[in-house]
Amino acid sequence: MNKNILEKINRLINNKKIDEAQFELSKLGSEFYKNIDYLYLRSKIFFINKLYYIALDTLLIATEFEEKDKIYELIGKIYNILGNKELSEKMFNPDLRLEAINSLKKELTGISQKA
Amino acid sequence: MIKLFWNTHNQTKPNSEDEKIKEKQATNYLWGQYHKKSSDKWIYEILKKVKYNTIENVTDLKKEDTLIIIDSNVEEKSELYLKLNIVCSKIFLFHLGDEFGFSDLSAVYKNCNYIWRPFCSSAYFNHDKVKCIPIGYKSGVLNKKKKTRKYKWTFTGTPHKSSRHDLLFQFSDIKPFFCHKTEKFDVKIISVDEMNEVLSSTEFVPCPNGFFHPETYRLYEALECGCIPIVENAYKYYDRLFPNNPFIKVDKWIDAKPIVLDWDSNQIRKKSDECKLWWDKEKNNIQDFVKNKIIT
Repeated sequence: MNKNILEKINRLINNKKIDEAQFELSKLGSEFYKNIDYLYLRSKIFFINKLYYIALDTLLIATEFEEKDKIYELIGKIYNILGNKELSEKMFNPDLRLEAINSLKKELTGISQKA
Repeated sequence: MIKLFWNTHNQTKPNSEDEKIKEKQATNYLWGQYHKKSSDKWIYEILKKVKYNTIENVTDLKKEDTLIIIDSNVEEKSELYLKLNIVCSKIFLFHLGDEFGFSDLSAVYKNCNYIWRPFCSSAYFNHDKVKCIPIGYKSGVLNKKKKTRKYKWTFTGTPHKSSRHDLLFQFSDIKPFFCHKTEKFDVKIISVDEMNEVLSSTEFVPCPNGFFHPETYRLYEALECGCIPIVENAYKYYDRLFPNNPFIKVDKWIDAKPIVLDWDSNQIRKKSDECKLWWDKEKNNIQDFVKNKIIT
């Protein structure tokens, strides 16, 4: 059921129906807040709306729960736009991304959920 | 008679046996003290055009007094406001704190004639009895009026999220700058005197969003000290709060680099003057609005 809803929202985003996707996301409750696919979709919309840092923070929180390539790839894409090429390249490299993300989160006091 | 009562610091000391409640009490207590210590100058500046007597206790209120109350964590004080409403002819609340805006405040707000609060949100941009005010500057911040400004930019604070991290990454090669990173809000911070010295010697102050809400003291401290603020444009918050503001707004910090690096002294002076003029006018408008609401 959850998967179907998130897939539907993903399709809406891909079809550029952003407002509709955002509305559907807003209807989802707290049981989704640690769902990595939900967090990814939220980030995707933030990214499309040029809310780069909110997108990044959401993706960094997602890495606390699970590891998925699409999360790192979107982080890499955003860092490329922000002009941090080194961090961007590390995110696209499966051998370097984990160390890079952990080092980044150590510097950011407001991200880690594992206090 | 108009009476002013500052109530943020009159919080219950943490004494509950329930750990969760005790933690909340501790947070409220610390923030209550913080608001009194840090925001009094700002609130008194807003109230500059209103004549009032300051009281230390609600027992100093007499029937039909008009009350200006400065408070925080009001969501837990609905009984107090009910009682105040019985005694006072009018209640004007300055509701400090409430960055998250999660609490239902209706039980308190309905007992007040008008409310001013920082941390604006969609619920309050066009409210008939709530007006959003800037969070303001920390008490003691003032422009030392230096002849030259030796720092291109300054950042003091906690790099808690990705925006601040990126800001420091992008700006680190723009020299000379002043940077003082802290691990937590209000912990191991520089003194207000040092802050005055630094900001009065700075051209640009990047103002990344706060932990949860875009508002930060940094913006208003920059304005007080004659610096040029650069704010994040997320959700166009500042354009909604202050239409026609002169701040530099960016979606990403790399966009601000050419401005900080390449603007000549004339461009900087012109923008700085524009910001100063705007801020003085904005403060004057707020003072007039507050006075008119309370007195009429």
